[in-house]
Amino acid sequence: MPGTLYKSAAIVGAAEANQIGFLDEPATSLQLHIEAIKNVSEQTGIPISSIEGVFSTGWSTELCEHLGITPKYIDTTAVGGCSFELHVHHAMAAIHAGIIDVALISHGENGHSANKIGGRSLNYARGAGDASPSHEMSTAYGLAAAPNHYAHAMVRHMHRYGNTREDYAHIAKVSRDWATLNPRAAMYSKEKHPFGGPITVEQVEDSRLITWPLTILHCCMVTDHGGAVLVCSPKVAASLNTKPVWIAGAGESMGHGNMLEMEDFTKTSARFSAEAAYTMAGLGPKDMEMALVYDSFTITAAITVEMLGLAAPGEGHLLWKDGRAAPGGSFPINTNGGGLSFNHSGMYGMPLLIEAYRQLSGTAEDGIHGDPRKQTSARTCVVNGTGGSLSTTGTLVLVADD
Amino acid sequence: MSYDKPIPSKGTHTSPFWEGTKAGKLMLPRCEDCNRVHWYPRHICPFCHSMNLEWIEGSGEGTIHTYAVQHLVFSKWAKETPYVTAYIDLKEGDRMLTVLRGVDPEKPEEIRIGAPVRVEFEQADEDTFIPFWRVVEE
Repeated sequence: MPGTLYKSAAIVGAAEANQIGFLDEPATSLQLHIEAIKNVSEQTGIPISSIEGVFSTGWSTELCEHLGITPKYIDTTAVGGCSFELHVHHAMAAIHAGIIDVALISHGENGHSANKIGGRSLNYARGAGDASPSHEMSTAYGLAAAPNHYAHAMVRHMHRYGNTREDYAHIAKVSRDWATLNPRAAMYSKEKHPFGGPITVEQVEDSRLITWPLTILHCCMVTDHGGAVLVCSPKVAASLNTKPVWIAGAGESMGHGNMLEMEDFTKTSARFSAEAAYTMAGLGPKDMEMALVYDSFTITAAITVEMLGLAAPGEGHLLWKDGRAAPGGSFPINTNGGGLSFNHSGMYGMPLLIEAYRQLSGTAEDGIHGDPRKQTSARTCVVNGTGGSLSTTGTLVLVADD
Repeated sequence: MSYDKPIPSKGTHTSPFWEGTKAGKLMLPRCEDCNRVHWYPRHICPFCHSMNLEWIEGSGEGTIHTYAVQHLVFSKWAKETPYVTAYIDLKEGDRMLTVLRGVDPEKPEEIRIGAPVRVEFEQADEDTFIPFWRVVEE
């Protein structure tokens, strides 16, 4: 008997870059990708704008940015030469599941040209060394670390909505309040870290400038962190002694790679990934009882809760300022202390998942990962990770076991 | 003093831009089919997906979209901190990143989003002139 995916998808076209082989005029990997994509689009009559899923062995941000598309399914599985066969498999599954109807599987690799112009890269769409065109037009200006970039979004958000920097400082203050209930938080107490323990909004404002308007206490830390979660089938979950937390909804999207291409500095693709997650879950923002959002900077958290439908545009910070997000508040947010005060190793998506599990399984107040008052009564939680320069987002709607 | 800050390595399809900077021109890629200007330069129009692209000479005029003041960076720019970076809305459409000139980094509140700016070029090496934007009187 055929498997579930039997005939659930078909390859409908196949094309190559305009020139292949030992090119006289060197090409970048990106160029090879783009030409092939254009050609298969023309072959099939499927507009590039209709591509919903992007499967490639690397940096899909640059590829999608270059095409000006915002996919809702992204797969960068890179396991060597057979990766593209795997991509077909993954695309079938995504299609069978009803997530997408049109999947692009793309490849470009300037193995020969790289000898002349550099930039040989198996995984990336980039071309000549550092000179992917977005990098080429940005690199002269000295921006390197995340705060160098994110501050531009904060200024635009402040300008658009008439907010002050202090409005956002409340996010840092309240996150620290949560951290003081979490012995594992880096900023739990003065004993644990010289700068740990409770902070005031004034201290956030008066701390050292990194990139105006971001002071250092508007920024996440850079710590060490490791974590893991297990995701199992309902059948396996039912056989375990641990409490399951159900994945009710999931969504993903990508707005841009380089901030140069961020069309609206006050919005992220979380508005799309959240819509997908809520739709899958059959739930909406009003059904959420807490949130865990990536807080690389205060502005990241403020914009994200707006994108998740938890606050009106420009009013995200009020959740913290009004105390709703704080310990004992009506809508707890970042109950571990967040990237601002718990831990942030560079990629904070894992701590979000771990804290969501603890809260919804009732294990957030075990004396190690939380003092009394850290455990909330929430039965639903929206989780949102943000990657890059406010570039890519993944949203989950998680619910407690009945 | 020779220019010691980062100099971009150049791609295979952006030479009209860099050639233009040598002559004090801001060359911009435009789609021959939908007529829209895009930035950064693509192999394909990001708006209509045509590959019929041309280069036009831009006006070199724009306005400030948003900005920030850099106090902590890691390249040779570090010795120039604090300095102001900005995204510029080009008169022809789309947006450029730059280091903004003609503003006081110690008074960020006085920098005005929407203020008019004009491009200028600084020679970095034999082949490279870097575009910078300066706030101009209204």
